[in-house]
Amino acid sequence: MDSGFALWLFAVSLGASALGGMLGMASGIFIVPILTVFGHVDIHTAIGASIVSVIACSCGGAAPYLKGRLTNVRLAIVLEVATTLGAFIGVLLAGYIPVPYLYFLFALILFLSARQMLAKRGNPSGAFAITDAGGWAGRLRLDSSYPDRALGQDIAYQVQRIPMGMSLMFGAGLISALLGIGSGVLKIPAMDTALRLPIKVSSATSNFMIGVTAAASAGAYFMRGNIVAAIAGPVALGSVVGAVLGARILMRMSNEKLRVMFVVILVALGIQMFLEALGIHLLKSSL
Amino acid sequence: MESLLAGVLLYGSWVASATIALGLSLAWIDSRFGTRNLAIFPSISIVTLGIALFILLPVLRVVLMLAVFLRERDYRFGIIAALVLTIIFLGCVVGARTTSLVAH
Repeated sequence: MDSGFALWLFAVSLGASALGGMLGMASGIFIVPILTVFGHVDIHTAIGASIVSVIACSCGGAAPYLKGRLTNVRLAIVLEVATTLGAFIGVLLAGYIPVPYLYFLFALILFLSARQMLAKRGNPSGAFAITDAGGWAGRLRLDSSYPDRALGQDIAYQVQRIPMGMSLMFGAGLISALLGIGSGVLKIPAMDTALRLPIKVSSATSNFMIGVTAAASAGAYFMRGNIVAAIAGPVALGSVVGAVLGARILMRMSNEKLRVMFVVILVALGIQMFLEALGIHLLKSSL
Repeated sequence: MESLLAGVLLYGSWVASATIALGLSLAWIDSRFGTRNLAIFPSISIVTLGIALFILLPVLRVVLMLAVFLRERDYRFGIIAALVLTIIFLGCVVGARTTSLVAH
């Protein structure tokens, strides 16, 4: 094993994860483009390494949300049926999708994520409205409450439009398996537009879910031999350390500056991936 | 249930990360000083073990949720948790039966 390359993998994953953690984003979306474009790693190997780092970040970061009663575990397990099913289909498809298409799909997801990052996110309208009591959420007892520190009281919320949320989550699982990312780009509309969860509950629950979603595809990729330990090991370790650091720095940096920086990075990586899809390699130098 | 899951995920992440770190350090020592497999088995397989632990951690979390739901006699959610485990298991079976996409 080339220890210089391992160190580089560790360092870039740490950086990507620290950056991602500062805006509550999974690092996976940066890892695959960095590994393929700059590290000249095969895209399937990069996806395998990235999916392990997604699990590591989810598991490593779940505890504070769970202890703070922000995670809706009942809702999570229901939605996980859809995300793991999506991941399963993604694993089946992964072998048949030509590599240039994967790059193209990745570029598309990067551009969509950049656009999503530009739009400000707040609590969705009607987040706390109690409307239909006899629906899915009522029958499965998914409605819950979370403690709001600023107000010093528990806030009750209702989960809405479960079927639409499940469909979007299926798509999120599929994209997650195909590209080795957390697919926040599909989960955010699922959580905000369909389920209409308060933003804190939504972040905590999606972080909790992504570990299981990623495990569904990572398990299959591991059995298939797509996870290369020499690459995935340093990436996973770097991501965990980065996530811990990112959470600490979070408080000290202006959110607006970060957001702009993120959009620029996402667009730049998107252009790179798009060029790779067309077979144009701007960066020839090998590490 | 929340505090149980929080503890398992937190300590599990520590164990898996430490295993990967140990494997990578041993592999680094091997390459730096020309020793071959300082550990009894190849250092890289310790890294693989750490990765496997990370993949198993969320699965363990679903198993625990299943156990809690069954103990609370919440059979509807027990079935949902079992369904998630089945899908993950099927994925692994499919993965084991198909060939690697990585060019070696």
